[in-house]
Amino acid sequence: MDDYIIITNNPMVVEEFGTEKEIEFYDVDYENILVKVRDKIYKGHELLSHPLSGSVKPGETPYKSIMVSKRVGSLEEKYVKLIESSIQTVGKFSFKPTINDQKTLKDLQVVDRTLLNSAIASADA
Amino acid sequence: MSKIRVVHYINQFFANIGGEEKADFPAELRVGEVVGPGMAFKASFKDEAEIIATIVCGDSYFNENLDKAKADILAMVKEQNPDVFIAGPAFNAGRYGVACGTIADAVQQELGIPAVTGMYKENPGADMFKDKVYTVATKNSAAGMRDAVAKMAPLALKLAKKEEIGVSSEEGYMPNGIRKNFFENERGSKRAINMLLAKLAGKEFTTEYPMPDFDRVDPMPAVKDLAHATIALVTSGGIVPKGNPDHIESSSASRYGEYDITGVMDLTEDTYETAHGGYDPVYANEDADRVLPVDVLRDLEKEGKIGKLHHLFYTTTGNGTAVASSKAFAEEFSKKLIADGVDAVILTST
Amino acid sequence: MKLEMGHIFIKDIVFSDTSKIEDGVLYVSKAELEKIVLSDEKLKEVSFDVAKPGESVRITPVKDVIEPRVKVEGEGGIFPGVIAKVGTVGSGKTYALKGMAVVTAGKIVGFQEGIIDMTGPGAEYTPFSKLNNLVMVCEPIEDIKPHQYEKAVRLAGFRVATYLGELSKSLTPDETKVYETQTIMEGKEKYPDLPRVAYVQMLQSQGLLHDTYVYGVDAKQTLSTIMNPTEVMDGAIVSGNCVSACDKNTTYHHLNNPVIHDMLEEHGKTLNFVCQILTNENVYLADKERSSDWTAKMCEMLDLDGVIVSQEGFGNPDTDLIMNCKKIEAKGVKTVIITDEYAGRDGKSQSLADADAAADAVVTGGNANQVIILPKLDKVIGTLDYVTKIAGASDETLREDGSLEVELQVITGATNETGFNKLSAR
Repeated sequence: MDDYIIITNNPMVVEEFGTEKEIEFYDVDYENILVKVRDKIYKGHELLSHPLSGSVKPGETPYKSIMVSKRVGSLEEKYVKLIESSIQTVGKFSFKPTINDQKTLKDLQVVDRTLLNSAIASADA
Repeated sequence: MSKIRVVHYINQFFANIGGEEKADFPAELRVGEVVGPGMAFKASFKDEAEIIATIVCGDSYFNENLDKAKADILAMVKEQNPDVFIAGPAFNAGRYGVACGTIADAVQQELGIPAVTGMYKENPGADMFKDKVYTVATKNSAAGMRDAVAKMAPLALKLAKKEEIGVSSEEGYMPNGIRKNFFENERGSKRAINMLLAKLAGKEFTTEYPMPDFDRVDPMPAVKDLAHATIALVTSGGIVPKGNPDHIESSSASRYGEYDITGVMDLTEDTYETAHGGYDPVYANEDADRVLPVDVLRDLEKEGKIGKLHHLFYTTTGNGTAVASSKAFAEEFSKKLIADGVDAVILTST
Repeated sequence: MKLEMGHIFIKDIVFSDTSKIEDGVLYVSKAELEKIVLSDEKLKEVSFDVAKPGESVRITPVKDVIEPRVKVEGEGGIFPGVIAKVGTVGSGKTYALKGMAVVTAGKIVGFQEGIIDMTGPGAEYTPFSKLNNLVMVCEPIEDIKPHQYEKAVRLAGFRVATYLGELSKSLTPDETKVYETQTIMEGKEKYPDLPRVAYVQMLQSQGLLHDTYVYGVDAKQTLSTIMNPTEVMDGAIVSGNCVSACDKNTTYHHLNNPVIHDMLEEHGKTLNFVCQILTNENVYLADKERSSDWTAKMCEMLDLDGVIVSQEGFGNPDTDLIMNCKKIEAKGVKTVIITDEYAGRDGKSQSLADADAAADAVVTGGNANQVIILPKLDKVIGTLDYVTKIAGASDETLREDGSLEVELQVITGATNETGFNKLSAR
């Protein structure tokens, strides 16, 4: 089994990796996925992929998948800094369009999953 | 078109009343008079604006009678009803700089009249007010008067005419934390090369984006005489009297609590608990000393290892609480700790 | 290495029966171009249009902007590893069609972005409003996957640009520029007293719609590496990036990389331009550490005195930028970084997602969150259907009078981080 956990709110990630990978799915918004990850980091998990992956800005996409280590070590300041500043950054994008057409939502899921895939490719290499 | 009306604020020194010995000079309104540096402004304004009144106030008077001085000066400005208010320039004079910033800020806030001031970048007034009032960066002495007026006067006129204010580097005011776009004369790549060449040559260069201030705190020197020191406890672990009387939030706290532990020797399950939502509270609730070690400090007090445990402790929940909020809390209660004669603090986290 | 760049100025683009360049006018046959585009079975339909400076035209959603070029003499061909065979480029003679570009447009994903206005306030922010643009809007076959569609449009743009470039092969350029660089030892001997400087270019490499290709290789699978500065002029780097219109590098930016061109101007005068260093912006944090370690190591091994680091994109790359800057500075190599800002609409927020005291020399391409009103224009090439879903837009974007209230970030190239523009912020 892999040594990482995927924290996500993207249903497509669950569909694709549901049984192969360890996934924690939360039905929360983008920002709250970052908060979930922050809680993990405070518990000593390592942050493995960048919380602000992708140029689709927070607020434009509801989806976010982030990879953390399964191993729990000691709290690392650099990860705390990165996740905290990422959460702050999300707060800057106050304009949040409501997306309700299925095609766009699917596209956004695809992009999030592809970004995650590129982290998985590195992690599994 | 009628001239722009300006009220100018200066201290006793620039009004030629005297130096430190006259710093207690109370605020005085001189209608129709142009005093001291006002002459330079007058020359710079040409026919476009006129100084309709000058307000003179001693630096000590202003700072020692802050509320009264502020109220008196505001009343004077209100009565004159100018289009713009100019304070200073104060150069490196600390109390004058703080007075200029304070009164300029008040004029803007309370009278809705735009204001401009000027001072040296290391004047304490600069850090206090540059984000609130357009503060022109001046040299550190009155020898820089010409240069200061050359920047302050046009800026004042623009403010009076409600024209758009350009970026700090063009207008000469200190960066005020608001990022503003503009077109440079050269493209970014060329600017980067020029900056690199300057950096390589050890010459001065100005970054276009100063990195945020990094809050690295140097540790204080060790407490020499622990046996006579007053030690206080502060925690971000959320320990509060049972029932959380001040309703400190379990995460993203917006407040902190101050609680008296006079006579409290031990935090028990019945008397204290944690408000923190970011960790498993079972063990903290069972015995809050695990987070806020009152029991151990009482022991040390008894043994004479420390002078005494301060009778108040400060607490909040660190869970998701913004750095800015934490800083604001600490700034406030640190003053109380100092006022209470506390020598050292033990800060506990979770 | 020596590259002679011949510039052929294109002052107009006209549709015609045959494709040719005559007296600075590019005549294009739609039928011929259509054949070139539709040679890819993934594409069903293509339409062409021309947008000229000053016209009341809005192009959106823009995918890529490409300057047509052709290799006249020397090794390799334009877009090596993508269109031409793999082979080292950057020497000999190359012609470029200046004053024009091929613009690919089409809704690859539902939220895609990129606006080029040819007139009005928006035009001031995009360099492409000053060009004669041949726009191609590509429609895919049914049920195509986004990554297949992206690739098809990306390659179609390069094929068309290559085809148009070829038309100039036998012409005499209006202007010629010669770029010459030395090997490491040669440069040291020739310019013993000049500071040794390199350009570190960070390439977007996060995944679908965020990719860059170097000689055809996906940059996320590369280790940091070095190139001769003239190689990009022959299309060694191409864009596969559709997202973040304002600060993504289009292929046009790569071909005309301003840091490279301005450094070459100074080469031998105030500095010794040693080489270009390429590094990536992956999402996996260990990759970031490795890539920035390698970049710093190369700076040290090349005995550099200074570097300029340019960024591409927002958020994730801020971390790479700061890592590179910190590690390169730690090697004693003086560093200037080029970035852009997301300081919020009011300009009051922290501009970057990462920061370090080592980054004491920063050039900025401006605040991408600045709000701009784009008036209604007479003609839209592409579609406005998605404009409310692009970065920096919202449901309130499309206003009653037909104007758009958007952030600068929707405009293609507005806050470019290679220093392409004059826009800045304080």
